[in-house]
Amino acid sequence: MAKISQLHKLLTEKEISSRELTEKYIEAIERDNKELGAYVHLSFDEALSAADAVDAKIASGEEIHPLAGIPMTLKDNMSTKGIETTCCSKILSGYKPIYDATVWTSLKEKGAVLLGKTNMDEFAMGSSCETSCYGAAKNPRNTKFVAGGSSGGGASAVGGNLAVYALGSDTGGSIRQPASFCGIVGLKPTYGAVSRFGLVAYASSLDQIGPMTTSVEDAALVFDNIAGFDKMDSTSNPDFKADTFKNLNNDISGKTIGVAKEYLEGLRPEVLKATEEALRTFESLGAKIVYFDMPALKFALPVYYILACAEASSNLGRYDGIRYGYKAEVYESVHDMVCKTRSEGFGDEVKRRILLGTYVLSAGYYDAYYKKAQNLRGAIVAAFNKAFECCDVMLAPVAPHTAFELGKAISDPIETYQSDICTVPVNIAGLPAISLPCGVAEDGMPIGMQLIGNKFTESTILNFAYKFEQATNLMKSADWGVKL
Amino acid sequence: MITKEDIENIALLSKLFVPEEELDALREDMQGIIDFADTINNADIEGVEFDNIAGLSNQFREDVVVESLSVEEILKNAPDQAQDHFLVRKRA
Repeated sequence: MAKISQLHKLLTEKEISSRELTEKYIEAIERDNKELGAYVHLSFDEALSAADAVDAKIASGEEIHPLAGIPMTLKDNMSTKGIETTCCSKILSGYKPIYDATVWTSLKEKGAVLLGKTNMDEFAMGSSCETSCYGAAKNPRNTKFVAGGSSGGGASAVGGNLAVYALGSDTGGSIRQPASFCGIVGLKPTYGAVSRFGLVAYASSLDQIGPMTTSVEDAALVFDNIAGFDKMDSTSNPDFKADTFKNLNNDISGKTIGVAKEYLEGLRPEVLKATEEALRTFESLGAKIVYFDMPALKFALPVYYILACAEASSNLGRYDGIRYGYKAEVYESVHDMVCKTRSEGFGDEVKRRILLGTYVLSAGYYDAYYKKAQNLRGAIVAAFNKAFECCDVMLAPVAPHTAFELGKAISDPIETYQSDICTVPVNIAGLPAISLPCGVAEDGMPIGMQLIGNKFTESTILNFAYKFEQATNLMKSADWGVKL
Repeated sequence: MITKEDIENIALLSKLFVPEEELDALREDMQGIIDFADTINNADIEGVEFDNIAGLSNQFREDVVVESLSVEEILKNAPDQAQDHFLVRKRA
């Protein structure tokens, strides 16, 4: 698992060309993707021509960007001009965007090499990647286990060495949880730090794009290159400038880590043990630990599901079979056409969330559910504001358990929703959080923890994560993909 | 208590068809999810007025004409089209 900076060095010193590097990944994807199911659309021709362009620059002695010539992947909900973008839903089958998402424009300009689009739960609704219309992505540590979700394909690709890095999106944990399940690093940035233009909307007030990588250093490098104001996204922050990479190795002694006791409830014993060991590691690095209560957190999960589904029911109203995507073949009226298109095109979980969202927004229920949930969102934001008065970062587990076996999650929707308990508060409050490995369970599956920061303090959480990573060295390479 | 009629009504608003044979199972699922959502109505903490998560308001831009997408591009993904327009419904 070479770091981006090491690959950059190999490229600039002409030890390997970008074409050779890209071909290694293409070969590995052709061999291993059948088993891992990480990729759902491939863009090898585009990848090789991007690689050739970088090689030409190197040959002419031109300086190249640190991300130039590095093979990577995007989640299938990020618009890529001319390359299929389906959100792993039948309703968008065959859809080829006519413009690029801003994150992809930024990376493409820097010479990034896009290998393809990665698997996800349909419209990012799920925690195991099993609601994808293409079938689930598998966990590279053990393919009997889920890769997590919704950005399961990105985690599987990066953990399985089928891409150097991936961009995922995180609405309620969809970057952090799969990163944790696959033993890699995942960063969910502050709401407004990274443009959402061209990201197919699930829940617009919660969605955020971020990197999935095999090291904290890579996460910082990629984040710095996708963050920043975008006039095409009116919620992107006009003042924020990301400069995390340069600030990774600052001393953290004397800094304070906060732990909300609510985060430690209901965990599998081995997850609790790994979380406590992580706290001891930080103490040995000179950090102080403070514990406190955050009673507002116990409402985070229902608040999340009410708000996310309400927003989804509105956002997914656009799929009507008229402008793009799937259209029912046989129908009697316009109403019949739209209903049939949607009923045939959406999977069960998406329909369930649209129905719940419509219910909580409908006359007579709006105040009891949507309005009440919005007010509790305000209470959760206030609780985090108060917490950050007494600590620099917060530490929490990513999930109460590690990756589960395929097919074990879907049966009971509520039980499935419960597993998002540790990740959704961050999205509700619009905060940044990084997930990174902190241990291994008895069954060999990785355990992750998250470091949560106050708004726009990505630099701080990445610095803490970097220190922990250097002290523990828990990143292990899985037995798939490119060996470098 | 959510009824089968409620489900049919929400489905109509959502423009989704629910087959008769799936109604009972869906009603049960939805009841479970709504009972879970109902837990917020027993919240023992004070809610706070909430505006927007970005903390921004009125992001204006200069009112200038910029290049836009062509009709041909816009129609590229349309399942049916005619005379430079989206075709909503094919004639029988």
